[in-house]
Amino acid sequence: MRRTVLVILGVFSIVAAACGQQPTGGTTFITSPAASETPVKGGTAIVAIWQEPTTLNPLYRNQTVATVVGNVVIEGLSRTNKDGEYEGELAKSIPTLANGGVRMSADGKKMEVRWELKPDIKWSDGQPLTSADITFAWQRWLEDKKVNTTTGYRDIEAIETPDPLTAIVKYKTIWGRYVTDITPLPKHLYEKEADVSRTEYSRKPVGTGPFVISDFKVGESITAERNPNYRVKDKPYLDKVIFKNVPSSQVAIAQLKAGEVHGMWNLLESEAVDLEKDANVTVFWDDSPSVERIELNTAENKDMTDPNSRHPVLGDIEVRKALLYATPKQQVIDKLLAGKVKPGNSPVSRGWAAPKGLTQEGYDPKKANDTLDRAGWTKGADGIRTKGGVRAAITITTTTGNATREKIQQVLVDDYKAVGVELKIQNMPSATLLSASWASGDPRKRGAFDLVMYGSSPGVDPAQTVTERYHSKQIPHAGNNGVGQNYTRVKNAELDKAIDDSNATLDFEKRKEAYARALKILNEQYVKIWFYDRADIDGFRKDVRGIVKNPWQEFTDNTEDWFLRK
Amino acid sequence: MTAYVARRLIQAIPLLVAISMISFAILKAVPGGPLAAYEGDPNFTEEDARRLEAAFGLDQPIHVQYLNWLARFVQGDWGYSFSSHQPVLGLILERLPNTLYLTFVVYLTVILIAVPVGILTATRQYSWFDHIVTGSTFTFLSTPTFWLGLLLILLFGLQLRWFPLGGIATPGVDFDLLDRLRHLVLPVITLALVQIGSYTRFLRASMLEVITQEFMRTARAKGLRERVVVLRHGLKNAAIPLVTVAALDLPDLFTGALVTEQIFGWPGMGRLFWDAATRADYPVLMGVLTVAAGLIVFANLVADVLYGYLDPRIRYS
Repeated sequence: MRRTVLVILGVFSIVAAACGQQPTGGTTFITSPAASETPVKGGTAIVAIWQEPTTLNPLYRNQTVATVVGNVVIEGLSRTNKDGEYEGELAKSIPTLANGGVRMSADGKKMEVRWELKPDIKWSDGQPLTSADITFAWQRWLEDKKVNTTTGYRDIEAIETPDPLTAIVKYKTIWGRYVTDITPLPKHLYEKEADVSRTEYSRKPVGTGPFVISDFKVGESITAERNPNYRVKDKPYLDKVIFKNVPSSQVAIAQLKAGEVHGMWNLLESEAVDLEKDANVTVFWDDSPSVERIELNTAENKDMTDPNSRHPVLGDIEVRKALLYATPKQQVIDKLLAGKVKPGNSPVSRGWAAPKGLTQEGYDPKKANDTLDRAGWTKGADGIRTKGGVRAAITITTTTGNATREKIQQVLVDDYKAVGVELKIQNMPSATLLSASWASGDPRKRGAFDLVMYGSSPGVDPAQTVTERYHSKQIPHAGNNGVGQNYTRVKNAELDKAIDDSNATLDFEKRKEAYARALKILNEQYVKIWFYDRADIDGFRKDVRGIVKNPWQEFTDNTEDWFLRK
Repeated sequence: MTAYVARRLIQAIPLLVAISMISFAILKAVPGGPLAAYEGDPNFTEEDARRLEAAFGLDQPIHVQYLNWLARFVQGDWGYSFSSHQPVLGLILERLPNTLYLTFVVYLTVILIAVPVGILTATRQYSWFDHIVTGSTFTFLSTPTFWLGLLLILLFGLQLRWFPLGGIATPGVDFDLLDRLRHLVLPVITLALVQIGSYTRFLRASMLEVITQEFMRTARAKGLRERVVVLRHGLKNAAIPLVTVAALDLPDLFTGALVTEQIFGWPGMGRLFWDAATRADYPVLMGVLTVAAGLIVFANLVADVLYGYLDPRIRYS
């Protein structure tokens, strides 16, 4: 029952925070139907965090936990609701082509976006939020050399502010992701600082959200108190939210069970199954946009591999097909993940761009054997296949110390052996495997792997993921200093065309069609085994109400609606 | 004496420079880097990576990076964290009181227990008390602190619920002595047991050596009470090697206990270093390492000077 009406048509249904049934998935829970419970005012909710945010300032933050904590203070122009649709947060509505908020230049090469702020919004210090704060944010993001990313700001040519509530953002190009980009900054405060990164705003940023950071005890706790200038009357319900620094997720689980904290985020599937047995705790399961996958290298497994080389085993599409058929997705999910997640079919599993009806073939060892037989890979005395003197022996790499992944590897070793493919395990620390840096020797960048298993998620707008991971121009190699994330080295003219099409238009329907085409072609290349859609799991004491699970936002996105049942 | 101390201090300078150089090289040899932390963001681009490398000076050759750091450091500029962008010295000073608070209590506990126990085991050599103490101190010495810490958390924190599972105080509670003490118990036990083991054995060994000396018999022959003999004549001499050991342990007082602070979520220097290490935050790591190196060099000097002061047979020139 996922809503089919797209955001871009300008139809926004406000998701009443504390109501509604979550239709997707059989194991998703939302607390407190508003009808049956009246929110209680007051009280303090304590949330366990086991990493410490080094900075909460949106200019610099790069940790998930910084977003978890920062959410209570920082707001953007728009937000993504739990159904993957955009809605205005500080802005009245989302500007689109259809509602006239977005206008193309006559030659179709540039565009401008008209944002209208909601009236009477104040920063937590009482000063009004104005369109000048949007211009200032754009300038700061480009002037300050230490910001996390300039994506979303660097394609802006100019911003005009005809009145205090209107900002017309002019882009140099066609920029399809304009909706999710902009976070206004308090100009009246930050412009006085020579270097904002070194001020107290790192720990106590000024925002428009429901709370204000009142105390930041390093290594201990971060206290957020009610923002007296919050724009919604009578909210937030809570007086305080305290983020308590704990040594590890295990300790967070123990404290949650003991009632020392009210909630924690980011549980592993295996931890969650155990925690669910506790009668005082609600475990929220939801599908996250993250997809656990196995990627198959089609080029030679060699450091700084030549992107035009061909992998002796995986270069054969029939072998790649057979490996997909030999991968027991559902069986692994049932045995190792308590049957609570869904087998993967596509890298874009949720949101408006997710292709409908796209599937990837399931487990069928007989078909795997037949495929390899037909392709001329014959079994030797040891049960391993060879073709033209090449032995079907490959390696699989994942992050060390991840129990679930290591168990899955064991299963794969057996299942691949059953179809005549020898699999050896060769794991690495995540800091090396997933550094995504050519200089730091990420084997995916360098092409030094056969199979690699990890999880990754696209943004709600998948443009960057689809382009950087599947376009043939994005194959990292020595010649381009390792730019791009097309790790499987897949090259397909039709795939490139579909991706180019998706980036050439602002029309969401056309983009959607192009993504569906691209991802279908991608699946037909058999370079990725979409193993399962990762679950997004948080745990809360039953007395915390009003939480809405939203796969696109961290769970602290709606703290203004939280309350503690007496 | 003054000349000796001055000479040692001057010698320490090239030593510290060498240590910092080696530390820097080792940190740089670890795969990954400070930019790895940004890679989870789907919006992070190659262009962003180049810009940050330039902003952090990571695009320079490694020796230039080191010399830049050194040049600023000698002028009193400890640099800024790559992650929080806060001044490194500030980050250190912010954590230092928490570490000092923990280690001070640990040392106090160690001295209060190890000194009397060490004396008693020596004066009652081969008694049942001696056997029990010798046996258990050996066990304490051989216990890895990370294992002991986890075990204590499991038993007294999770099972019995006597003590909190970590942290320095309950968040949201104003200063409360009892609350503070409850948070202190498990980390102090974890850190103190090993130290008690080693200090007790040191004191026992040197006490035994002293007890058989001629001057002890003389003291007894003078008709002094046993208490006075043991404490004034015995302990004073037996404590000399212990003072050296204690002085050499001085740096730990400031740098904290890396693993224990991490296990107990103690917001001290050890945890600062650990967090910085996971992020390859070179300025913070270099700051902490340099403080540690400086303290070790200083503590060695203090130990040597104290030794000369306590033992008149040793003189420096």
